[in-house]
Amino acid sequence: MDLGFWVFQTLNALQLSMLLFLLSVGLTVIFGLMHFVNLAHGALYAVGAYIAATFSGMLGYWAGFIAAPLIVAEIGLLLYAFLIRRMRRSGPMAQVLVTFGLIFVLLDLTRIVWGDIALGIETPEILSSRIEIGSIAYPVYRLFIIGLGATIFAILALVLTRTQIGAMIRAGVDNDQMAACLGINVERLFLGVFCVGCGLAGLAGAVAAPVLSVTPDMGLQILIPTLIVVVIGGLGSLWGAMAGSLIFGFVQTFGAVLLPGLASVLIYGLLAAILILRPSGLLPARG
Amino acid sequence: MLDVRGLDKHFGAIHVTRDVSLKLEKGERRVILGPNGAGKTTLFNLLVGEIAPDAGTIELAGRDITALSVAQRARLGLARSYQKNTLFDGLTVAENLGLAASVATGTARSILRDCLGLGEVRETVREVADRLHLTPHLDDRVSTVSYGIRRQLEVGLALATRPDVILMDEPTSGIGPEMAHSFHHMLASLPRDLTLLIVEHDMDLAFDVADTITVLNYGEVVFDGLPDAARSSALLKEIYLGSWEDA
Amino acid sequence: MFRLTGLRLGTLALLSAAAVAYTLSTGFAGLELVTEIAILAMLVVALDLVAGFGGMVSLCHGALMGVGAYAFAMASTAAGMPVLPSMMLAVGLAGAIAWLIGALCAGSQGIYFIMVTLAFGQMAYSFVFESPFFGGDDGLAGISRPDLDLIGIDLNRSRAFAFYCLGALAITLLAAAHILRSGIGRALVGIRDNERRMQALGQTVWLTKAHVFGLSGMIAGLAGVLAAQHVMYISPGLLAWTVSGEALVVVILGGLGTFVGPVLGAAVFVVLRHEVSAITPYWHLVVGLILIAVVMSRANGIFGFVEDSLARLSSRRRHTPAEPVVDGETRDA
Repeated sequence: MDLGFWVFQTLNALQLSMLLFLLSVGLTVIFGLMHFVNLAHGALYAVGAYIAATFSGMLGYWAGFIAAPLIVAEIGLLLYAFLIRRMRRSGPMAQVLVTFGLIFVLLDLTRIVWGDIALGIETPEILSSRIEIGSIAYPVYRLFIIGLGATIFAILALVLTRTQIGAMIRAGVDNDQMAACLGINVERLFLGVFCVGCGLAGLAGAVAAPVLSVTPDMGLQILIPTLIVVVIGGLGSLWGAMAGSLIFGFVQTFGAVLLPGLASVLIYGLLAAILILRPSGLLPARG
Repeated sequence: MLDVRGLDKHFGAIHVTRDVSLKLEKGERRVILGPNGAGKTTLFNLLVGEIAPDAGTIELAGRDITALSVAQRARLGLARSYQKNTLFDGLTVAENLGLAASVATGTARSILRDCLGLGEVRETVREVADRLHLTPHLDDRVSTVSYGIRRQLEVGLALATRPDVILMDEPTSGIGPEMAHSFHHMLASLPRDLTLLIVEHDMDLAFDVADTITVLNYGEVVFDGLPDAARSSALLKEIYLGSWEDA
Repeated sequence: MFRLTGLRLGTLALLSAAAVAYTLSTGFAGLELVTEIAILAMLVVALDLVAGFGGMVSLCHGALMGVGAYAFAMASTAAGMPVLPSMMLAVGLAGAIAWLIGALCAGSQGIYFIMVTLAFGQMAYSFVFESPFFGGDDGLAGISRPDLDLIGIDLNRSRAFAFYCLGALAITLLAAAHILRSGIGRALVGIRDNERRMQALGQTVWLTKAHVFGLSGMIAGLAGVLAAQHVMYISPGLLAWTVSGEALVVVILGGLGTFVGPVLGAAVFVVLRHEVSAITPYWHLVVGLILIAVVMSRANGIFGFVEDSLARLSSRRRHTPAEPVVDGETRDA
């Protein structure tokens, strides 16, 4: 195993991490802010992938790249208005069950609209080459994913720490009732965060589509890794989502190569350990 | 019966409990008074086992219980009642008492027999209900009975474990003056071999029920003696009412 | 506290009579249905024990069922043990693992409890899936049913096997009723109502939870053994979290903590699945919508709704005020 191997695997791990980051950041902030468990997040990612596949088929990759997050954010808006808002005050069990039901509804709706056959997307022309890094040739598109994830992280970090909206969000995560007393329109804030979170899930789907195949159950497949990332990383925090994504990405990638057969068991063991010993995760928003 | 020595507790930089010692004889009724922030709740939680002291020891009937958990202390005969009703709301009054008695006799671990049907459990339920005037409500769900009845049941759960010592946290909390008096009477008429330690705000209860009074201020014991002495103590008047001396 | 009310006993008696009559008269397709319902009902009874009565919502019960199935398969085929000891080993192993999970998760609450059981379930799934011993994705075949030639019964015939499963379900229900009416069952309900007070009264709460989880695991393991014997083949899919999810849907549909709910829910679910799947390939859509509807209706499933309605009717007839709802909350973990 030469240097090239390590570079290759590291880049793979980073790519997986960034993809998971895009998914988990929405989920974790929604949970941290609204104390709402949205299991259907993975299904939204799948819908994003399908939308991207449809648009890119007609108008090219970038059309899908832009359409997916926008449309999925819209869907998020509808879900919030009709379902989520009513379930917000219910206990976690009810939320888990309703969003679990939502997973199945969305799963079959994608099957109804797009059928059962796996779809594929072509990567855009300018990102379709490979770059020489030392002894290996790595796909530029995957580097694009890494870059995109890092950029979004930077933008979100900036928004959260340097803007007033960010301050309001952080206040809401810390204590939503108090924030409301301070005059912050918490409901509108939640709605905004929820839609942005959904949009990011859609974006993740659009971005993942050329790399993974677009199937009806891709949402189910990505759900557990996303939950793992959110729990390990820490609920409600941007840094937690990044930390969790990196941990999962690296353990999964290197584990699959170095310790096949044990990688998954290790990850789930880590998840269980965190839940038992430190349930709020490694870097939670609230200590 | 209960021997507390040198209990000390810090929360960060705040010294909440300072070198608190007290000694209860068997059958003694002790009331712990003190203004808000005096550390009564912390002391209570230390005795009950919900928090661990930084220093000091607690002995129950000669046995060191300082390192024991809440459940372990309960099994050794140290019962407690809560300031805020902590009952089994979805169950009936009889089931509440029955559960308490079952846990205490170890029969709530059995996979063979129904603890609630056992003779000794039912006997205890009858006795405690009788003593606390709960008998007419035995088959009522706790969520449907009045606050006063619930407060009685709160004490009842502790009694049903047939303890040696009961630690009570503001037992008359939320009870109006009319009911409070009969409550004091009930407390005073509990079996004389039962040791009681009551943390209270209500002066009337202290003087109605207590054999001895301990007063805490800023985490330390400032008075330990008979109720009459407390009544006439200038120090206590100052603590509770403040003084008009120039600063 | 758990009580086998007249309504519950009556409903179970009715269901039993219907099951027996149907099993005696129907053909292969119907017998397959009965077997499926019986096995699913057993799994859901196990889940209801901890989730409905103990307030511990578990997403690892599918995995526990899978553990039972795989342990039985390995013991009876690879290790060549006779069937009955293999079954006992499988049930015991599932119970032991469940006990361990229950003990480790005893301190977790609410959503965290759900997720940590999910974690353990997935651990078991990955272990079985990725391990070379268990045949990986191909699964294990060649599993045989118990040999009851001595009493003249051939379990390879569908009707006999269906009765065998119904009998196992009956035993399961008896066992569950016994557990719920025993000291530990009473303690479980107490823990669900107010864990803090049970602790303060002197109960070692984690141990109680672990014991009940272990017993529940044994039942789930038995369901797994029967499932393996039914299809005579097993695959890692048995341990997937979606199986646990399905069990949860069934108990919600039937009614948590109603004792009859699991059986009723299983029957309705399996029949519905067969009927709907015959008309449309979009069964998941139907399940999802039903689940959302049931949860948002705040009714406690089919049987819970029936029980609550009857209770409300009878209290109104007696002119006593209906029970005030405590805190106005839904039944939550």
